[in-house]
Formats: sequence, C-alpha cells, structure tokens
Amino acid sequence: MSGTVGIKVEEHFHSAEQQRETARLGMWTFLLTELLLFSGLFITALVIRVQHPTSVTAVALHLKFWIGATNTAVLILSSFSMSVAIELSRLGRQRLMLRFMLLTAALGAVFMMLKGYEYYRDYVEHMMPFLPYRSYELAADPASRLFTNLYFITTGLHAIHLTIGIGIMLVMAWLASRTGFLQQHQNRIEITGLYWHFIDLVWMVVFPTLYLLNR
Amino acid sequence: MSPSDTTLRDLHVPTPVIDPPDDYLHVEQTLSSWIFTTDHKRIGLLYLVSITVFFLLGSIAAGLIRLSLIVPDGEIFSNDIYNRLFTLHGVIMVWFFLVPSIPNTLGNFLLPLMIGAKDVAFPKLNLLSWYVFVLGSLFTMFVMIWGGVDTGWTFYTPLSTEYADSYVIAAVLGVIVVGFSSILTGLNFMVTVHKLRAPGMTWFRMPLFVWSLYATSMILVLATPVLTIALILLFAERALGLAVFDPANGGDPVLFQHLFWFYSHPVVYVMVLPGMGVMSELITAFSCKRVFGYKFIAFSSLGIAAIGFFVWGHHMFYNGMSPYAGLTFSLMSFIVAVPSAIKVYNWAATIHKGAIRLDTPMLYAMSWIGLFVIGGVTGLMLASTALDGHVHDTYFVVAHFHYIMVGATVVAFLGGIHFWWPKITGRLYSEPWGRISAFLMFFGFNMTFFPQYLLGYMGMPRRYHVYPPSYQVLNVLSSAGATMLAVAYIFPMIYLIWSLWYGERAGDNPWEAKGLEWTTTSPPPKHNFHHMPVVDFEPYDYPNIAPEK
Amino acid sequence: MDAKLKRRLRTPFLTMLALLVLLGANVLLGSLFTTGHAWIAEVLIATVMVATVIVVAMEAHKEPPVIRLFSGVGFFWVAILFALTMVDYTTR
Repeated sequence: MSGTVGIKVEEHFHSAEQQRETARLGMWTFLLTELLLFSGLFITALVIRVQHPTSVTAVALHLKFWIGATNTAVLILSSFSMSVAIELSRLGRQRLMLRFMLLTAALGAVFMMLKGYEYYRDYVEHMMPFLPYRSYELAADPASRLFTNLYFITTGLHAIHLTIGIGIMLVMAWLASRTGFLQQHQNRIEITGLYWHFIDLVWMVVFPTLYLLNR
Repeated sequence: MSPSDTTLRDLHVPTPVIDPPDDYLHVEQTLSSWIFTTDHKRIGLLYLVSITVFFLLGSIAAGLIRLSLIVPDGEIFSNDIYNRLFTLHGVIMVWFFLVPSIPNTLGNFLLPLMIGAKDVAFPKLNLLSWYVFVLGSLFTMFVMIWGGVDTGWTFYTPLSTEYADSYVIAAVLGVIVVGFSSILTGLNFMVTVHKLRAPGMTWFRMPLFVWSLYATSMILVLATPVLTIALILLFAERALGLAVFDPANGGDPVLFQHLFWFYSHPVVYVMVLPGMGVMSELITAFSCKRVFGYKFIAFSSLGIAAIGFFVWGHHMFYNGMSPYAGLTFSLMSFIVAVPSAIKVYNWAATIHKGAIRLDTPMLYAMSWIGLFVIGGVTGLMLASTALDGHVHDTYFVVAHFHYIMVGATVVAFLGGIHFWWPKITGRLYSEPWGRISAFLMFFGFNMTFFPQYLLGYMGMPRRYHVYPPSYQVLNVLSSAGATMLAVAYIFPMIYLIWSLWYGERAGDNPWEAKGLEWTTTSPPPKHNFHHMPVVDFEPYDYPNIAPEK
Repeated sequence: MDAKLKRRLRTPFLTMLALLVLLGANVLLGSLFTTGHAWIAEVLIATVMVATVIVVAMEAHKEPPVIRLFSGVGFFWVAILFALTMVDYTTR
C-alpha cells in the first residue's frame, strides 16, 4: 500500500531536493502576492474606521458575529485535516490521504454554505445597500454603506479564493488517486496544503477586521 | 572560445546546408513549437514581438497627440477623442510596453544563461505568463480602440467610478489580467535566481543585470497585487454598486490614489531598474573594464526597489492629502535618489580610463547617462513640495517622466537589443545604421521633450489639448522632434529585421565581452550550454587596459 | 492508527487545539466587551493565531532561511502600506 514517496525530477533541475525547494519557494512567493492583495482591503477597512468610527461600529453590530466565528472554527478544522493529509502523503498512505483531502474540501464547502446562509440573512435584514430596489437598514447613516460594501467585497474575494481552493483540492484528489502518484508527485500535496493554510490565515484576519474589532 | 564563422556570405550562392543547426531557433520550426514552447529564449522572443506591436500602437497614439498639439485651439480632435488618445497612449505604453520590455524580452532570454541554468524555475508558468499577457493586453487594446477610456491611465475616482462615460470596466478588467502576467514573471525570476544558479555562481559573481532583474521582480511581486485590489475596488464600485470611495457617502477618493500609487510608483522602478542592469553590462563591455563598485551597484538596485515603496505620496501632494504626509513622502523621495546617483557615479568611474569603443550599444549607454541625469534631477525638483506646487499637472511632469521612461528605459532597451542581438539571432546588424539611429534618437528625443520642461514651467497643463497661442512655438518644436524620434525608432526595426536574413553571421562572442552567455554559441542551443558551466571566475574580469595614447 | 502516524499528527492536533482556544478567547472578548480597549487584546490574539499558522501549520520553522525570509517579509511591506497611509489619515 505505501511505497517510498518521492518526486520525478524535471529536466531543468539537477536533483529532487532542488525541485522540492524550488516548488515551495514558488508557492511562498505566490502567497506573498496574496497577502499584499488582501492588505489593500485591510487598509481600506482601517481608513474607513478612522474616518467614520460610529458608522463602522453600527455596521459591525449588524454583521452575523456567530456565523463568522463558526466559520473561523470550520476553517481551523479544515486546516487540521489538510495537515493530516500532508502527513499521510509523506508516509505514502494514499487512500487515507485522499479521504482527508476530501474532508478538507468538504469543510470548505461547509464554510461556503454557512456564508451563503449569512448572505441570505443579510438580504433579509436589509443589509445590502448596493441593491437599488431594496431599502437599506442603516440608510440614516450614509457612511455606514462604505463598511457594509467593504464587508461584501472582502468576504466575496475570500470566498472566490476558497472556491478555487476547493476546486484545486478536488482536482488534486482526483489526480492523486492514480497509482504511483505519491512516488512521482508527493510534494504537490504539500504545495496545495500551503495554499489551503493561507486561505485559513486570511480569514483569521478578515474575521477580526470585519466582525470583531469594531463591536 | 570556439572558432567562429565570420566569412561574409555571397548573397547569390546559397550556403550549402549539410547538417541543420541545432540551436534553439532552428531545432523545431513549426508554429506550434513556438506557441507551445517552454523554452525561455523563445518565450523572450514571443514577448519581443508582442511588445513591439504595442510600442507601435502606443507611438501612433503619441503621434496623434503631438499632431493635435501643433495648433493651440484644439481643432484637430475633439476633447473626447483627445482624452481617449492620451489614455490609450498611457495604458499601452506603461503596461503593455515598458513594464514587460526589458524583463520579459532580454530578461527572459538572458537570466538563465547568465546564471548558468538550463531554464527558469517554472518554464510552463513562464509560457502561461505570456498567454495571460496576450489575452489581457489584446482585450484591453480592443476595448480602448472600440470606444476607449477617457480617464487617463491613472483611473482616478470619482471620474472613473461615477462620471466617465466610457469603457472603464472592461479596461480595468484587462489591466487586472495583465497584472497577473507581471506577478508570474516576477515570481519565476526571483525563484530562479535563488535556486537555479550554476555551481560556483555565488550571488556576488552574478552579472549586475541579474541583480537588477531580481530587484525588479521583488517590486512586481510586492506591488502588483495592490494595483489589482485598487482596480477590483474600482470595478466593484462602478459595476456592482459596492462603493467604497464614493464621496457622497463620506468615502475618500484619495484612498484610491493611495492604493493606486502604492503600486504605480514602484512600477516606475520596474521600468528603470532593468535598464540600469543593461547599463552595467554595456558600460563594462565597451570600456573593456571591470565595473567600479560592484557591491554598491548591486545593493543600490535592492535599495531602489525597497525605498521606492516609501515615496508614492509625491504623486499626491496637492490632492487633499495631509501636508505632514506630504513632508514625509517628500523626504523619502529625496532619499530614493541616492542609490540611483551612486550607480551613475560608479558607471562614470568605470568608463574613466577604459578602452572605450563607441559602437552602437555604447552610444545608447552614453545617451542613457545624460538623459537619465536630466530626468532624475528634475525628479528631485518635483520631490520638493514647493516646486511641485508650481509645476504639478503641467508639462514639466510629462517631460520628467518621459526623460526617464523614454530617455532611459527605451534607450537601454535599444542598447541591450543591439548588444545581445548577435547572441539572440546569430547575426550581426549594420553598425553604421546603428550609429546613425542612435544619434538621431538622441537629438530627436531632446527636441521632443526638452521644450516640454519649458512649457510646463511656464504653466501649460498636461492632458489639455487647447493652450494659449504663446505656447505654440515650443509645441511645434516638440512635435517636430517627435517626427525625428519616430524615424530613429523605425530605422532599427528595418535594419535589425534585415539582418535576420542578410546580416553577417555572428561568432560566439563578437564583442569579446565577459559573462556566461558569451561562452555558448550564437544562437545558443536549446538547453543553453553544451556543457553545463562551473563558475570559478569573478564577474567582469576584463583586462582593464587603458587606451594607448 | 500506528505509532508513527500518531507521532506525526501530534503537532497538527495541538496546533488546531491552540487555534480553537485562541478563537474562543477572541469570541469571548467580542461578545462580552463591546466598548473600551478590548480591541488591543483581540488584535494580539489574532496576531498569535496568524503567526501560529505560518510557523507551525505551514512549517516555516523547518524551512531553509530563504523561505523563512519570504514567509515574513510580506508583513513588513504591509506595514509600509499601513504606516504611510495612516500618516495621511491621522494628520488631516
């Protein structure tokens, strides 16, 4: 069931070690760009907070704090299952690894379902100011629209990244189900794991920024 | 050095082909072997063709602008069309020509060769970056020509989010896509330099061009995502009603500018740093001399990249930003000039008492120094908030950045293309025509852009196509210079392409330059070296022979 | 589950517990203290969570120096963005 794990060395590398390290460095560099991407949203949140503190607090109290908190826990669990999958890949335990990869994707899907429910509640509670045909709960406080809009943009962008992550997880699980995968491409599981952990990390900043700090 | 084939070909007798050459150009010649290549050298050429097309388009827009400015009453084009023209010019020249110019053409071709690698770290990602570039740039270009955008390449809010009646959404999406291409390139280059150096190629044995590409890649990786988020926020506001900058609800349009310039200032260093890297290569080769102050130049590249992130507010002194922020940004802008100056002094010291050869690349290098110093000093003037108050949004600014972006970047690009042309194509270009074009370029450039300093100082605003008649003489002079400049750019296109078929075949090292790329054949084989190099020599170990009196 | 696997899973398991505990602390602070300076503690807790993910879950502590540099340097650049932008907004 478990053979030695390894990677097939591509022609422009001279060793498996070089290839592994190059792949890891490449993913970390990519995650660097993702950090800077989301930081633009975080600085926007800070600026709006500094300019309109009471409006921001009003919005934060209307956000679904408990759904946000639960979602944070869901992602922490998904990061754990991802770490388990990585350890299993290092031991060559292919079938069990696949189960945990699917569990990770499933937990990501749970997050998306909770998010969808949260957006539904936002709609019901008139917290979607960008809808021209629907009244807005905090219409008396025009500056509150800024933070509400930012909430949708930030959680939306995060959700897009998470959806891509779930997609990559499923595709990787399908590819990794083939015989001999772990002998040729074991490090791909680890690289996928880095991306998944990072999505979790971004949410760990999004949750306080939007839901927590401004209460 | 292997013996080189330098006999002139008799054009009427075809060269007998016994074995087809196995260099990277000839090893496979189907269309799909080019479009699906993962060879960094071919990808460099794919980019070269792409950016040349955009250079032509952007130049046509520039030509139309200069045409329009011959008359003071704006009779040639309507306001709307004029706005679309300078936006087209800016968007194309900045994102589809200048940013990819040296890194994606010369950089792609030379980086693995210079460090002794077979390819970049992620060859397929390299190809993907070209696909993404072509997709985004063609889409944006189509949008701009179909109807255009009239906000300027800077997309300031609330004009872009609320009042502009043009294809802002589509243009912004196209630019976001092209941004991914920059990120992928920067990522690839940084990882390549860290991980794929040949045995013995330590950091301080690398050519300075590689250091400059590394610094450029740092900026691409760290700055481009912030542009992406600024444009996403713009898109969200305009297309989805998710307004964050909207002043009617208490939002701050200046916040968009903070995010925009956090990228767009460092991107000007993306445009100039590779040119500085090329300069180090040209100056050493054509002075036949070791570079003066290698470590100073190497660390200055990193310094420019890093400090360049601290200065963005100097584009925003007079837009409502706090004057204390203005003070901070002004101070940092003075500091960022220091590493650039260090480089110029070091190059001057390198040339001093060198065995100078005034071939075409060296003529471009000398032009570079003069034009960059003028552009850089006027940049310092703009960094001073008091002076900037007088010339902000005038032609003084336009002249400053064209001295750097055209007078430095394009000049370095041309110098580099000429220097490495034999290596890339295996052919020699016509040296007399090269020199003529270099001189024409220098005079045409100054005639085009120096009057603009005067116009700006006298108060002519930028992005206006009507002006008081007293400015007409300088405007006409500038437009005449633009014509000369156009000729100076057309000549190389002609004689370089001509050389592909009729140029003398080049040997491995026609310039007798130092560097790993000159130890392999011209053109190189597909995997760069017949025997993978082991590096045990210092960079630029020229003989340092002073010219005989 | 064999002993080798158990040993390997110890660190991820403890990491998960630590993150959940920290999350719990933040949730407690957020639901009990809606005014005042609780935000300082909340920011600190969130920072520890982020650092834990990077250093432990993403195994940055095991990586060679260049990767450790890349894992941290981004935050310095984020700090530049924040600091200089806030120089503007706090001094208007």
